[in-house]
Amino acid sequence: MNLANLKRNYYGYLFLAPFVIAFLIFGLYPIYNTVALSFTDTTIMSKTSHFVGFKNFERLFADDIFMTAVKNTWLIWILNFIPQLGIAMLLSIWFTNSRLNIKGVGIWRTIFYLPNLLVPAAVAALFFSLFSYYGPVNQFVVRAGFIPEALQFLQDATIVRVLVVFIQWWMWFGQTIIILMAGMTSIPIPLYEAAMVDGATSSQMFNRITLPLLKPILIYVFVTSLVGGMQMFDIPYLLTDGRGSPRSSILTNNILMYLKFSSSKGHIGAASSVGVLIFVMTSLCALAIFYFLRDRDQQSQ
Amino acid sequence: MKRLSYILSVLVALSMLLAACGTPAVNEAPAAATDAPAMTEVPAATDAPASTEKTVLNVWSFTNEINTMTVAFEGKHPDVDVKYTLIPMTNGEYQTKLKAALGTADAPDVIALEAAFVKEYVESDDILADISDLIPAAEAAKTYPSVLGVGTNNGVLKALSYQATPGALFYRRSLAKEYFGTDDPAEIQALLADLDKFTAAAEVIKEKSGGNTYMVGSSGDFQNPFFSNRAQPWIVDETLVVDPMVEKYIETAKLFRDNGYEAQASQWGEGWFAGMNDSLVDAEGAPKQVFSYFLPTWGLPYVLAPNAKSADGAHDTSGDWGVITGPLPYQWGGTWMGAVQGTPNLELAKEFITFATIDEENLTNWATGVYTNEFLKAIDPSIPDDQKQAAGDFVSSQVVVEKITASFDDSDLSKFLGGQNSYGGFAAAAPSVNSELMTGSDDAIQRALNDPIAQYLNGEGTIDDLWATWKDALRVEFPDLTIN
Repeated sequence: MNLANLKRNYYGYLFLAPFVIAFLIFGLYPIYNTVALSFTDTTIMSKTSHFVGFKNFERLFADDIFMTAVKNTWLIWILNFIPQLGIAMLLSIWFTNSRLNIKGVGIWRTIFYLPNLLVPAAVAALFFSLFSYYGPVNQFVVRAGFIPEALQFLQDATIVRVLVVFIQWWMWFGQTIIILMAGMTSIPIPLYEAAMVDGATSSQMFNRITLPLLKPILIYVFVTSLVGGMQMFDIPYLLTDGRGSPRSSILTNNILMYLKFSSSKGHIGAASSVGVLIFVMTSLCALAIFYFLRDRDQQSQ
Repeated sequence: MKRLSYILSVLVALSMLLAACGTPAVNEAPAAATDAPAMTEVPAATDAPASTEKTVLNVWSFTNEINTMTVAFEGKHPDVDVKYTLIPMTNGEYQTKLKAALGTADAPDVIALEAAFVKEYVESDDILADISDLIPAAEAAKTYPSVLGVGTNNGVLKALSYQATPGALFYRRSLAKEYFGTDDPAEIQALLADLDKFTAAAEVIKEKSGGNTYMVGSSGDFQNPFFSNRAQPWIVDETLVVDPMVEKYIETAKLFRDNGYEAQASQWGEGWFAGMNDSLVDAEGAPKQVFSYFLPTWGLPYVLAPNAKSADGAHDTSGDWGVITGPLPYQWGGTWMGAVQGTPNLELAKEFITFATIDEENLTNWATGVYTNEFLKAIDPSIPDDQKQAAGDFVSSQVVVEKITASFDDSDLSKFLGGQNSYGGFAAAAPSVNSELMTGSDDAIQRALNDPIAQYLNGEGTIDDLWATWKDALRVEFPDLTIN
């Protein structure tokens, strides 16, 4: 590129500049700083800190709790993502299907999306009250005769985990519907018409037309959900005591990071090491998704 | 046109750069951050109201009670504008927010510190300012030695409290009459004088009520009485110490749970409060009662009295309470105040702390219910309608306590307790309070114990599982601690 070209592209660089500058300061620098901190024993309660090499990371792997957090995060994300994608896909197909011609699609979509507008704190408080020992769910199930006496729902590891999975699903499947529907309605209708003329069945049309053309959207849904899932924090934090109780069953990566940060001395160095590992793990998985869902046709062309 | 867009884009880029540079400059004076946007000429107007002539003092706390003090302080100092920020600490949010703000331009001038974590701040050399020059005034007010002791590290005073917080046991007089034939505090104290008697009494109550009256509302009620009676702090020489009293606590909680002496509510949860106004119903709709609550001095005006009437007004237990020392003498909580190091308003901060924790007039007003909503509204009409200080908080100055104790003989507070003057009882207990067990790590260590205990009480796992999960949790938060 010579100087004349540079001048011609001047405006392009100019318009890019705000983003690049903002990214360098708010995106790249914090990442760099987190990595730098993760090799130190920095705490909030003291102004001095030392370089400790990989000690923070060694500790993470020596403590079982880190692997527990990673397992919990993956389990909760996968258990919520599969039904989320499945149900969103099914509803999107129904909503966009011209044969079914469902009425009031906009209203349905709005209703499904509504939970996403609630503040996570309010949702967590709602479920906390519903399932507390003296709460309405206990009153209902006991009076209806389903169980003989009230249960400590929020002290049961499995029930609490299921609750988190449900809340995450309930809050996010509406969002996925909107994205999937946008993708599906952008697929040219003549393709389906041609397929129908050729006598294709609904499932054939879905497998051969909808899915392949939806791939870029699916990658987007996958990756954003993965990033969100790996950083899951608010609902599990607020539903119980903010420590991933009961039995660390909803202790996610970010709660662990937060615990290290909010411990008595405020171990920012140790918390950063958790952040670095989440970053590495999420990046690798996102790259893997891109790789496995890449457009294979393009390479053969 | 092209020229215009060029200028515009340069302006946008420039303003972003300026705004961006302003924010991360954490250690600069707050002025630097607010100046940056002003250069882009956008929010210049918003700068104006802040620069009125009043000096601004930023105070952070975790309840709304200190706001009453700040309003009263503004009444005495019309040239000062106290900005009060409330951050709840249910799950430790306040502590986290505070840690994130300290050392930055957003750091407040004065911070409130709860007993569970005050030591951590007092022990650090880098957070709280030295306020030792307040010692003579505090000594003149005869501030209880334990209150001073908590706020002092290596002879340097860093925090002071307006409260002293000996604990007590509050019980329902009507239920006491029903099950023990008397509601006289001295006789009930004799019946509940130690743990064995307390447990035996719990059995009596259960039998006579057919299991409908519980001795205590939650297992968490036992926590402070037992923790206060440990022989050693949690951490000695960077090693975790599990005092026999901690084991005794878990044993007792388990005994109460298994025998149905405890309502299984969670402390600070709906059911726990419902027990205070006798509106507790179990899942089947059967009414249940809670006989007693372990609460300290502040528990009376802040917890028990406000919750003695149910929301629908159908239940009211006011006047049906009695107070005794209970099976274990203890102390629980308290709020200290410290000035943040590096604050540009150190002198004003000290003045505020003196006013809040030593000033005889303020403490008297505070404890005797002078700070009503009307009183505060006259100073600052913008305060919420429920902002007030009910009478009865037990203050840290012995001089004030001695002067006002008699005034409670016939007060509303005494009527709430069936005529008993609780202030006198607390005044007798306060000088013997021992705060030497407190360390900066108590909060985190005790929080980590809650879930393992809940699991154990529910019958999930053995006592060894309890210790193991607890110690695992501690390793996460205390990387330097030796845990055997």
